Amino acid sequence: MMKEAVLDKLKKIVGNENVLTTPEVLKAYSYDGTTSWQHEPEVVVFPTTTEQVSDILKLANAEKIPVTPRGGGTNVSGGSVPWLGGIVLVTTKMNQIVKIDKENLSATVEAGVVLQDLTMKLAKDGLFFPPDPQSFLGATMGGIIAENAGGPACVKYGVTKQYILGIEAVLPSGDIINLGGRTLKNVVGYDLLHILISSEGTLGVITKAELKLRPMPPARKTIMAVYADIAVAGENVYRVLENGVIPNKIELLDNWVINRIEEMMPMGLPKDADAVLLFECDGILETVDKEVEKIAEIAKKYGATDVRIAKDQAEADKYWMARKAGFAAVFGKAPTVLSEDVTVPRGNIPALIKKVKEIAKKHNVESCCLGHAGDGNLHPSVLTDKKNEELYSRAIKAIDEIIESAVELGGVLSGEHGIGLEKQKFFNKVTNPAVVDLMKGIKALFDPNNIMNPGKIWD
Amino acid sequence: MEDLKELKKIEKFADQCMKCGFCSFFCPVYQEEKVETAVARGKNYLVRQMIQGDQKFTPEMADIIGKCLLCKRCAANCPAKTQIDRVVVGARAQLVKEKGLGFVKNFAFRKVMANRKAFGRYVKLAKTFQFMMPKTEGKIRHLPDFLKGLGQGRNIPEIADKFLRDRVKRVNKPQSGPAKMKVGFFSGCAMDFVYPELGLKIIDVLTKHGCEVIVPEEQSCCGAAIYFSGDFETGRMLAEENIKAFKDVDYIVTGCGTCSSTLKDYQKYLTDTEDQQKRYEAFEKKIKDSTEFLIDILKINPSDFKLKKEFEGKTATWHDPCHLIRYQNIKEQPRAILKALKGLKYVEMPNADLCCGMGGSFSVYHYDLTKKIAAKKMDGIKATGADIVVTACPGCMINLIDNVLQNKMPQKVHHFLELVE
Repeated sequence: MMKEAVLDKLKKIVGNENVLTTPEVLKAYSYDGTTSWQHEPEVVVFPTTTEQVSDILKLANAEKIPVTPRGGGTNVSGGSVPWLGGIVLVTTKMNQIVKIDKENLSATVEAGVVLQDLTMKLAKDGLFFPPDPQSFLGATMGGIIAENAGGPACVKYGVTKQYILGIEAVLPSGDIINLGGRTLKNVVGYDLLHILISSEGTLGVITKAELKLRPMPPARKTIMAVYADIAVAGENVYRVLENGVIPNKIELLDNWVINRIEEMMPMGLPKDADAVLLFECDGILETVDKEVEKIAEIAKKYGATDVRIAKDQAEADKYWMARKAGFAAVFGKAPTVLSEDVTVPRGNIPALIKKVKEIAKKHNVESCCLGHAGDGNLHPSVLTDKKNEELYSRAIKAIDEIIESAVELGGVLSGEHGIGLEKQKFFNKVTNPAVVDLMKGIKALFDPNNIMNPGKIWD
Repeated sequence: MEDLKELKKIEKFADQCMKCGFCSFFCPVYQEEKVETAVARGKNYLVRQMIQGDQKFTPEMADIIGKCLLCKRCAANCPAKTQIDRVVVGARAQLVKEKGLGFVKNFAFRKVMANRKAFGRYVKLAKTFQFMMPKTEGKIRHLPDFLKGLGQGRNIPEIADKFLRDRVKRVNKPQSGPAKMKVGFFSGCAMDFVYPELGLKIIDVLTKHGCEVIVPEEQSCCGAAIYFSGDFETGRMLAEENIKAFKDVDYIVTGCGTCSSTLKDYQKYLTDTEDQQKRYEAFEKKIKDSTEFLIDILKINPSDFKLKKEFEGKTATWHDPCHLIRYQNIKEQPRAILKALKGLKYVEMPNADLCCGMGGSFSVYHYDLTKKIAAKKMDGIKATGADIVVTACPGCMINLIDNVLQNKMPQKVHHFLELVE
């Protein structure tokens, strides 16, 4: 239990209504989007200004209370689960879009702004923020930056870190710092900005950010390519790219996922196909038309059995709806689904897919593959049931082996979700000890009392 | 914990949630409160904790479960298709089972609303005190200070001089030719006590189109406020009464979106036995909301409807009642008619499907929240520049009227059937 005196001070900082301690609220802040990790905090606090965040951290630092920053709680690595209790610091009430600067293609936002709210606002000015994590409906900008989130559009546009010009953050000492700036170029000392981005809330609390925007492309077109062999689909990904076209999305659905989608919402997907790839091109209409033709030509040349160019937006929407439904199709099919976030160099996608199939067979578990094939970021998933111990342990073994084989194939543990709690057991295994020491040294420098999101990444 | 029968029934729906948090974007309550207990994911998680025995029925838990409009926007957009409405209603039913209804609800539901005659008497009694409520505009009155518990400054429509039940015939023959079908008219409370002219209008439209319309005296309240609050016992009693009252008709038509969906959904929320399931399902098939009936069953061509003279040259926009668009998937029918009406200009409002904030008794307990949610609805209405806001649920109408007046907006709110000849 948190000391009454601390609670009183918190109430003084943010007001009574923004300090919650009932058992029901503590339970509701014990989880994020992951299946396996839950832990209750002792208090949930909703600051509304950067100064309040600063005062909360000063207090927590003096009392050595763990602080877990949290936005929409949509992350899937356990990153915003308050593993050691303490304070959950929720940014959802710091949700102002401070400024949209059309001249400089930038925007200033508070940490608690939800990406979809921003996207809708930007669209009115003909602008967009390219990173598009699939949790865009609930994810907040603070979390997106802290996790360096990705999404389907990364193949052309890159990940979050490429779209952050500057941030305002609060250190555990309570100091409010500004890193980066509002310019495209910035070479002033060490690049501390990028240490904060993807720090998973372990170094400080991001309170505000300056985002880099792009003008909205006037045209987009969608192609669905069908394959009799998923490995050929995987190969098609890099064939398209090496032949000079960079679509903004290349997404993969395997036979299992296609069939679950068709069960849920029949839309005429090829049920016999071993896999399909969905491509989307965006840009100037004439260019998009040429790119689409080129992709169709390459896909056929390298083994696609059928290529469909969506004739209008309605057909395109149907295909992307299928991709979005894939998520639900997988998760709705088993009580517990372990979904991975491994990323391999694109050339190794076919090898990874093959490996996933072998591993699933070996451990006798149902598996499937979907994901952002365009950037090598796949989400192989294993279906299981947490309540069935024997089945669950087989699934865990399979997932562990999938991760290990991704690393063997030159890949990384996480493409876009971070380490959090979920990937800890692999972190030390695959990271050079000197690198781990450097990271720990940086952590100690920022946060000597280890109050910021303790228990994550390497503990 | 003791018998968790009602929770066990909805366990599989609660288990469907994978905690992705997408619901937060669609939940009107979360959008205002920004606290996890307000959103479907949080409620769902806590209900699962109750099922596991890790959470008790505390007053706080009752508050959390109560603070849901049941607008179903989260369910409609849930990637895992979690039926959160069932989870919430099931949890409320369990709460009622364990803790009872509480005096006020017990009196209101069981002694008043569930007894049609008594309800009428109480409403008449209330009417005699109506003079104490200052008039705002036309037939709208606002609550005086001593009733501010119901929401300070709230505008509510006047109770009618003569109720529909006292103005309507039991059997209404088609206006010409033989009867195409026998249709029961379900009036619901609002049309009986507040908008009797609207009830007469629906009967007029139906008989004009060749239906014989029966208005059984024995019909009761649809039960929305009652069983959505978890009082399944009274809910089942009403279901039985309504099924009996309408046993001899081909269809049952109502002009209230909430009533039609509530009657259709007896089979979904209330069943305990196979026999009930069968009978409630058969009943569901007969229920049609007004626009659904006109377009889908009578198959009237939208362009055959004539606009009433007083609306000529006006611009109209449509508000989707939650109980039409998400409970019954009625979206295109009213729009098709509005777009086809000659002399009327139709403009789609942004967020037409956003709940108006009424949520039945929700607006009584959480009036401030209702106003905040309605403010977003008002922004959508303002953006259209429309003269009239059209809808097909008296509940929504009452709340829209209140908020249009509070915001000093020029728009008038009308039931769809008021627009046509």
